[in-house]
Amino acid sequence: MEQIVFGIGITALAGALATVAGSAEDTESNIGSQGDPNSQVQLAPQMGFVHRIFNKAVAGEPPAYALWCTLGAGLAWAFLAMQINAILAIILASILAVFVQGIYATTAYLGRTASLSKFGQPVYVDILKSMTTVAMAHAFVAIFCTVTICYLINAALGHPFPLPLLGFVWGLALGAAGSATGNPYYGKERQYQNQKFGAGVPISASGNIVRYAEAGERNSLDNGYFTAKFGGPASGLCFGLIVFLELWRTILFEPIAAGWGAIIVGVLIILIFTIIDRYIEVWARKNYGPYTAPAKEAAP
Amino acid sequence: MTAVAAKPQAGAAMNPAAMAVGIVLLLVFLGVAYYLSPGMGLMALIGIIIGGVLIGFGVHFVPVGGAPAAMGQAPGIATGVAMLAAGAGLAGLFGGAWAAEQGLVIAVVTGGIGGGLMMAITCMMVNFVYVFGMGIPAASGKVAKDPITGDSQAEYKSQGTEGHGLPFISFVGGVIGGILGGAGGTLIYIELLDLYKATLPTVMGATAAQVLPIAVAAAGMFAIGLFLVNAVLTAYNITGTIEGPHDPKFKRWPRSVVASAVASALCGLVAILIVVPLPI
Repeated sequence: MEQIVFGIGITALAGALATVAGSAEDTESNIGSQGDPNSQVQLAPQMGFVHRIFNKAVAGEPPAYALWCTLGAGLAWAFLAMQINAILAIILASILAVFVQGIYATTAYLGRTASLSKFGQPVYVDILKSMTTVAMAHAFVAIFCTVTICYLINAALGHPFPLPLLGFVWGLALGAAGSATGNPYYGKERQYQNQKFGAGVPISASGNIVRYAEAGERNSLDNGYFTAKFGGPASGLCFGLIVFLELWRTILFEPIAAGWGAIIVGVLIILIFTIIDRYIEVWARKNYGPYTAPAKEAAP
Repeated sequence: MTAVAAKPQAGAAMNPAAMAVGIVLLLVFLGVAYYLSPGMGLMALIGIIIGGVLIGFGVHFVPVGGAPAAMGQAPGIATGVAMLAAGAGLAGLFGGAWAAEQGLVIAVVTGGIGGGLMMAITCMMVNFVYVFGMGIPAASGKVAKDPITGDSQAEYKSQGTEGHGLPFISFVGGVIGGILGGAGGTLIYIELLDLYKATLPTVMGATAAQVLPIAVAAAGMFAIGLFLVNAVLTAYNITGTIEGPHDPKFKRWPRSVVASAVASALCGLVAILIVVPLPI
């Protein structure tokens, strides 16, 4: 019983850390403009729209976070082997991993932006100075939380994978969940804030991203500030749910019926999310209605 | 017709000669495994090939919209095919590896459910963001009606786009893709783990307990590597974006399955050769 209560406590802590990690990951990727919407940031100068948005998408979010979290977890593992206190080891390892992220962000911004020089896009040194550190700070939160989750899973819950392997698995999952959930909000709602709300961006508008703020030109800190209010928490919720429910069903139900308990609970959770998804889909169709009359659309 | 809609026709044809070469290569790799290690090695390789095929086939189900989806210009999840599938599959592998002691069937099913769970949550959150954050309903650009629910799609597509969000068929496709990926990854892991646990004590001259961490780490790394090989290979077969099982591009899966089998066989052979001595 005590073991189960301990397991549930660790699961709750891991879920909470994952929520923070997902939120920080999405905000970091939006400040650095690393997700899929970066295609528009890269395209804009080619269409004549010079901007002051950071641009570091030389890798997708999942492999980038897999790298940084594996580095963090691997270094933490090495520090732990040197008998360093676990919390200190994870903090030191995350700091070192964040330096790699900072180098990545700097070189990626310089490289990507310099490649647009023929279209008149300048490299803004003040952007590099002010955005990189903010992105690094958010990356630190995301990496620290993820490495801590991996440590808890390995040391407290007894998962067989070594810490660096867990860092890779959950780093990749963090990037996948964060980019899947957060990208549309950054891409459609922020980069194309001048387009109609409640509709996709017409393909003809590609590249015409919003470049001006309330005062002066918009930069990536404005974007991070905006997406941190919805896209970030939504990504955090997504990753938090994944980590929490995956651990919860294993810790509580795996001992039941020789492992089948966790499987049945997993199937039930999938069914519950299927019903929620269908409800959201039908709710949107009912409340927002069609864009065009069905009969008119059906005519050839 | 836009460029996005025109793509599915391109490259869909099967190449019989290439398929035949692929199958011959597959048989050669199996023959090598049989020659070097007729018992455990061959069985492990067969398991790895089945796992790789499951991953390759499963990735076709995952609805991925890439950059256009991030602007609400195309349906699907706004990230890359390989990375999303890998994220789901590795989340499944995580669960499957945890259940490895419970036996092959339980571990593989647990891995599959883990991958499906990750995709179910992610797909639900994608629709959550589209509907409540952006006020956009889900609409497919590839079919007039959702094959499962029968909901009409065309009138819910906003002007100048190919659709947006995840219609129910795409959600179901995502979950199936996650299940197949998670199960395939776990199968590869379990097969390699069993092989390494049996052979490493002799190779390294150590006890079973001493080699266990090495066996787990090596099997995990090879399973992740094989997962990425198959996911990326399939991403090339899909070329960009796919809406799910109702997308015309889905019909390309036989080509990818053969390619995944060959690639898994070659990579699996390497994974087996590190513990099976060459008869020289």
